Amino acid sequence: MFRHLFTLIWNKKKQNFLLITEMLISFLVVFAVFTLVVFNYRNYRKPMGLEYENVWVVNYNNTLKTTNADSVMLFYEGLKQIIKSMPQVREVSYTSANIPFTQNSMMNGLDYKGKHINPNYCQSDEEYKNVLQIKMKEGRWFGKEDMNVSKRPIVINSTMKEQLFGKESATGKLIGDSKDLKIIGVIDDVKMKGDYTDAGAWLYVKIDTSSMPGIGRILVSVVPGTDAAFESRLYKTIANTMKDSNIEIEHLTNKLKDINYFALVPMIILSIVAGFLIINVALGLFGVLWYNINKRRSEIGLRRAIGATSGSVSAQLVSEALILATLSLIAGSFFAIQFPLLNVFDLPAGVYLTALALSVVFIYILVLICSLYPGRQAAAIYPAVALHED
Amino acid sequence: MLKNYFKIAIAVFKRRKFFTFISLFGISFTLTILIVLTAFIDKVINDNYPDRKRDRSLYVNKMTERGDQSYNGEALSFYFLDHYVRRLKTPVKLAVSSDYRGTNTYVNNKKISISYKYTNADYWDVTEYDFLEGKPFTKQQIANAERVAVISADIKRAYFGDVPSVVGKYIEADNVQYRVCGVVKNVPVTLYMLYSDIYLPYTVSKTDYSSNTGYRGGYYGILLAASSADVPKMKKEFEQMVKKLPMSSKEYNKIYCPAETFIPAYLNTGNEDKSGLVYALTAIAIFVLLVMLLPTLNLININITRIMERSSEIGVRKAFGASSQTLVYQFIVENIILTILGCLIGIILSLIVLKVLNNASLIPNLELTLNFTVLSVGLLTCLIFGLLSGVYPAWRMSRLNVVDALKAQ
Repeated sequence: MFRHLFTLIWNKKKQNFLLITEMLISFLVVFAVFTLVVFNYRNYRKPMGLEYENVWVVNYNNTLKTTNADSVMLFYEGLKQIIKSMPQVREVSYTSANIPFTQNSMMNGLDYKGKHINPNYCQSDEEYKNVLQIKMKEGRWFGKEDMNVSKRPIVINSTMKEQLFGKESATGKLIGDSKDLKIIGVIDDVKMKGDYTDAGAWLYVKIDTSSMPGIGRILVSVVPGTDAAFESRLYKTIANTMKDSNIEIEHLTNKLKDINYFALVPMIILSIVAGFLIINVALGLFGVLWYNINKRRSEIGLRRAIGATSGSVSAQLVSEALILATLSLIAGSFFAIQFPLLNVFDLPAGVYLTALALSVVFIYILVLICSLYPGRQAAAIYPAVALHED
Repeated sequence: MLKNYFKIAIAVFKRRKFFTFISLFGISFTLTILIVLTAFIDKVINDNYPDRKRDRSLYVNKMTERGDQSYNGEALSFYFLDHYVRRLKTPVKLAVSSDYRGTNTYVNNKKISISYKYTNADYWDVTEYDFLEGKPFTKQQIANAERVAVISADIKRAYFGDVPSVVGKYIEADNVQYRVCGVVKNVPVTLYMLYSDIYLPYTVSKTDYSSNTGYRGGYYGILLAASSADVPKMKKEFEQMVKKLPMSSKEYNKIYCPAETFIPAYLNTGNEDKSGLVYALTAIAIFVLLVMLLPTLNLININITRIMERSSEIGVRKAFGASSQTLVYQFIVENIILTILGCLIGIILSLIVLKVLNNASLIPNLELTLNFTVLSVGLLTCLIFGLLSGVYPAWRMSRLNVVDALKAQ
């Protein structure tokens, strides 16, 4: 049966070659779209890991004339107390510019037992965890006891822990080139770059007196229902305390919307374009198959005349189309499988494999739909009429 | 002869309406994508509002200092532009402006997010903003550090509402009151070197602009030559100046700071080895190839089918002495007629899509339009399409054997 079908396909190799190429390229386009969709969807399913409603970000720049580390620290501690004393404010935290939901990234290379990773490097303080309501997985967050210790305390996230230590506990381990960073805790993964991007590896260090002048963000969590009137008061308070600084207040909810938009828009545009390409291809396939079948009326008529049922005729034509699809899918999968093998875009292999499976199913369904109607039409051919024509 | 081909073509299109529909659908849709893409690129890089003197300008927007271990790239410092670039002899004017930064203002308990930018007086001569009212601030006002501001039409509406004139009124931004001295037409944010909601004199900057005596900071420069013929000379002089710059620190051994015309500067990545222009072109080429490849293959398939269907017609013509060349020519003409039809539908479709996109205002103030460049790109694509999808089937057809062709039906 298959041998016979292959012979039939081989006899028309020139025309079939074009059809196969077309299916192959459609497969690659569908694969690209599915990879993106699967990746975004998997990330979307994961918990956010932080509370962003009612959290505001204050952008400022350090313009203090003094360079004395202690007086800088004293000034900002004072500012923190002023903000915290306002009735609508729950918690206040200083942090570096890579706050949640910004494109801003700071990465530092790190080696540990032959593994090289590039974690995001975030500076924060004791209240950071409470402002964003991050959950601890093991160990603890920064506290007062971290003052004046010889090894610099750091907190890492689950992804980084997985990368460095696998299943082992990370608390208490020393890392860094000169083993001067001591892990005191591991937090649950937090999607810092929005709903559709994976967490990545994160490393948190406590802001110390020397790094305070480089800090430019304050995270403020407020009670629900706080309005713009209070925001304006908060703004005036900070602006009057730091007269020379440029102040901007943003809301994490808006920042999340913006960063999600950046992830979604390319996917939507790509899906629309791919959708139209596929419709185009489907119509083309349909037309070509339909025409081919019409050309083979006499062959089909002969088969019917010697006793083939209408079902077997239609099955033959549909399976011919499906074999063509299989040939192109084998070639396509060969290209697609290179992505997880060569680890091209640093995505998990599972994403590629799911996308691969989905695209294979998609192309089969597409070809099936396009060949069913022509197949049924062929089955309806009366042998007497078909043979008479010739 | 052409008229005959045209008549035959129309007859053929009418005979197999389904195939005609598929072909037209493929062509017009592909063209729509390409036209929208071109309109976007054209708008972002070719629209010369507000910097209309692009042909005699060079843009400096980034400096990268490299060492064996370190790599730092950023916009320029005011000091660098004022001390090194201003001393060049060829430029007649030097526009200096900061990058745009964000702040808030609160009117009637409503929050407005504002971006602001510091500029010098020459900025207004080098660029040609359309002033809806008022005028730019002057050198004198800058020297006196007067708190004056040029605002955009958007901010005027958001802050003051629908009032006829706001010149002389005060606008509060970043906790400071500025007197409005002019209102300009909006600039889309994609022109990141020129976009802002409020333009302020650099002397009122809260951060002390003169204290940073390093090379890097948050400022851009536009160098204006007396004529476009002077631009290469200006570029050379700038390069010479950069070459002579002393290293700012021992960790660096190389400074990369090009003065470029608008497009290369717009795409400047700050890395000599990775030209942004090459990146952008590769990305666009891959996208276009993908978008065009599938419909082309589809068209070739359909065309072959259509030709085979007409094999008896071809057989008769061949039998009566038509050469292969004539047949190929006829078929290509037919195909080009079809693509041009598709092209027309595509242009109508793109007009609709552009209208929808503009109304959705994905990027505020970015009005996409069809213009001559965009249309000619569309036409060119059409021709390529018609030729690509016509040549191979036509060649197949011309090789048909007369006897086989006649026997087929």
